[in-house]
Amino acid sequence: MRDVIVIGAGGGGPVVAKELAARGLDVLVLEAGPRHARPREQWTSFENDANNPLSGYFRLGPTDRSKPAWFREWSQNSFVWQLSGVGGTTQHFYGNYPRAYPGVFNDYDKPDRAEYDINHRFPFSYGELVPYFEWVEATAPVMTAAMGTKEAVFFRGCETLGLPVQTTKTTHGPSYRPQENAILQPGGNAGRTTDTNLLTYPNATGCTFCGYCFQGCMRPVGAPRNQFAKRSTDNSYVPMALTADVWAPGGRPVELITDAYVTRIHTERRAGALRASGVTWRDNVSGAEHREDAKVVVMAGGCTENPRLWFNSGLPNPNDWVGRGYTDHFFDWVIGSFDDYTGNPKGVGSSARLDFPPYGGLENVGLPPALNAFATTLSDSGIRGQYANGRGPSGPWDGPAGRVMGPELKELVAGGLDRLLCVLVITDDDVEADNRVVTSALPADENGPIPKVTFRHRSRTARTTRNREFMAGKAAQLLRGAGAKKVFRIDWAPLILHVQSSMRMGESEQNSVLDPNAESRAVKGLFIADNSALANGLGGPNPTLTTQALATRTAEKIFQLHFGGDPWVRAESPVVSTDPRISVRLGELGL
Amino acid sequence: MSNSTVALGRRAFLARLGLLGAVGAGGLLSRGALAAPAANAQTDALPGLVALLRPVLAELARDTLNGLSVFALPGPDPYSAAQGTPSDTPGAMEARTTDFLIEALDNFVPFPDQLARPAGAALATGLADTGIELPGTDLLPGELATLDKALAALLENDATLPLSFPISGLLNLLATQVNPLAVNGPFLSPFARLNYAEKARAFELLEGPDSDLVALLDVQFPEPLKASVSGLLKFVGGALIEFASFGSYTEYAVFDRGTRQLTGRPVGWQLTGYQPDGPVEGWDDFIGYYQGRTEVHD
Repeated sequence: MRDVIVIGAGGGGPVVAKELAARGLDVLVLEAGPRHARPREQWTSFENDANNPLSGYFRLGPTDRSKPAWFREWSQNSFVWQLSGVGGTTQHFYGNYPRAYPGVFNDYDKPDRAEYDINHRFPFSYGELVPYFEWVEATAPVMTAAMGTKEAVFFRGCETLGLPVQTTKTTHGPSYRPQENAILQPGGNAGRTTDTNLLTYPNATGCTFCGYCFQGCMRPVGAPRNQFAKRSTDNSYVPMALTADVWAPGGRPVELITDAYVTRIHTERRAGALRASGVTWRDNVSGAEHREDAKVVVMAGGCTENPRLWFNSGLPNPNDWVGRGYTDHFFDWVIGSFDDYTGNPKGVGSSARLDFPPYGGLENVGLPPALNAFATTLSDSGIRGQYANGRGPSGPWDGPAGRVMGPELKELVAGGLDRLLCVLVITDDDVEADNRVVTSALPADENGPIPKVTFRHRSRTARTTRNREFMAGKAAQLLRGAGAKKVFRIDWAPLILHVQSSMRMGESEQNSVLDPNAESRAVKGLFIADNSALANGLGGPNPTLTTQALATRTAEKIFQLHFGGDPWVRAESPVVSTDPRISVRLGELGL
Repeated sequence: MSNSTVALGRRAFLARLGLLGAVGAGGLLSRGALAAPAANAQTDALPGLVALLRPVLAELARDTLNGLSVFALPGPDPYSAAQGTPSDTPGAMEARTTDFLIEALDNFVPFPDQLARPAGAALATGLADTGIELPGTDLLPGELATLDKALAALLENDATLPLSFPISGLLNLLATQVNPLAVNGPFLSPFARLNYAEKARAFELLEGPDSDLVALLDVQFPEPLKASVSGLLKFVGGALIEFASFGSYTEYAVFDRGTRQLTGRPVGWQLTGYQPDGPVEGWDDFIGYYQGRTEVHD
């Protein structure tokens, strides 16, 4: 009997695991995908080897890459970018850690209050979460991002929009700024040379500007795992969880098992209440099933897998909100073509942003050639100059929106990738009941019936649609202000990459799965600690910081409610994940 | 199926699939192989014919996907020229995009066989009567019936159907809907014979919300799979373009899996100027902090 079993070692699960390991609890972490313990032997920095969703090392599938990926049903032109493996989607993320907008919390009373999704707010105040934001910001750690050329170009555009520079952690209104990101900033030779011989740790520390965030961070060469620049959880929280005995008084290292696919959550009825009692998982390699019991079970498999596991476990769904309310920031993509060098795709994937509550935000993004081609061809508006698929909106960009592909794409990139600057359009999108995960009618895989992800992208709410059009227009203005000679809008088909709220917490029992403690309303002792627990899409900010802050709070709630402990975030100081004691122990463990 | 039931519809269907073009004079399958009387085919000649047919379908799929690859990235090859978008710089054929697609479709797309097989069969049985007038072919009714039977046997009995076949069949059916004349001409497959605008039109039909083809396919499946098939086809329409474009610009063609190194400069890198001196450990692009600010506080 374990104290706690955490299902999933992605962006959220390791946070709960690390915090409770520091309290001395017996924590088991089960990850469905690969361990990736030796990235220098297992990764490259090539796009197909890394990012091919079917066969790359960053895919949704077992460790053995000769076996097929796990098939998920998407019933529309879309791309749901799931990753298995320790670190989850933080393995390919850009480390951006903005805080959620205050307007998505239930105490917000500014004049634009009604402009947000007021029916789906967080069931507590922004102020309630601030100590947890600060705790995670100190742990990761979060810093103000360094600037490369592509950031300088982006800021040049921002400066033409008449907005202030944000110099606070909290976003109070429309503004722009360098990202606050979980990237160790360049030190020593990092960012200052291309000479490989000079870019080894400790002569180089932090971000070397390699531009390979999306292929996984394993730099600088020779650094301990917890000193790699990008603070994906495989570099931050997981090393802490595995070494809790050396940095936390009374701490107890977690046990981490990978290639362990949880297929069922078990429950029992005690004192009239349904309680989680354990899990069954299946070994990807041998196919053997294992069962283990625990006092508390924490789901952290992601917005698509959590509902699937819930359904496959036969857990109750009294208000029918399991899997509903999936938010995705209804992304779009706008590209500027410049006469001059833009620095794309060097440096961190994105180190600059513009926030525009209550509409959403923008980020600059650098992409290598194949991902750039993917990004310009993922469209709901047909092919530019050929057909518009019933859409093809026009605006401050050139011509109708749609795919830039074939000869037009070849011409666009012929001037060099480093003459392009791409802007990700992030929409403050509403929680909508019909954007959801259900059980697919297609054949089950070895782990049971598979999930089907449905986004009714052509009938989003009026507010969501308005926000997306507004921010796409801002992106085009920004690029023109920065000096773009031509601007293209792609009108992306749903790219489900920022995922939130499919198992949401909420104020009302009528439209939420979790109570304000992130404990499920239907099954006691069953918590959720990843993006799916979020009440909404946060207004547009990238979800990782808010998820990890909430997961820290959830760990405290678990400790208080189920183990009779005291909270610690307001009483103690956090240990930074780069702590040398962690590095030393990782070395002893061969990690 | 008797000779008389191999009606014009079946002939048209096999032509639209590209199969008739692959048989006969100059084709991959000799007419001699089809000479056995259809009535006896089930017992004697059919298994052999099915074995002969399998590589024909593979070649047909390859040719079709060549047409798709150059649609994503044209280059200095005959397929790009036929498409009307010749180019002096390397393209998808040099990037081996077709191999990339076939390898992915046949080995790595975790598409359930339980769905792929009926989808292939639906293509082969449900879409014959489209009312589109096609140029004639010279196969005799008996030969046609044998071919048809062999195709049906293959679809019904093969344990694992390479996904590249139903995908290419889909593209060829769309191609002949866009341009019926594409049943004949250079190359093996109707899709590869289309010009760029016609290929775009084929994808417009696939992606469109009211695609007749999608509706027809749905009819072949019972509930609750009905809507799943049409939804998946819309997904497939987008995914084929996106995946072919992605593959064309990757290192796929020059990646040595043994050494995990490149054996040459990827086409996508040549075209975009990416990493002119090869892979790096870092860049000298750090230019400071915006407005000199290195930290912020509330």
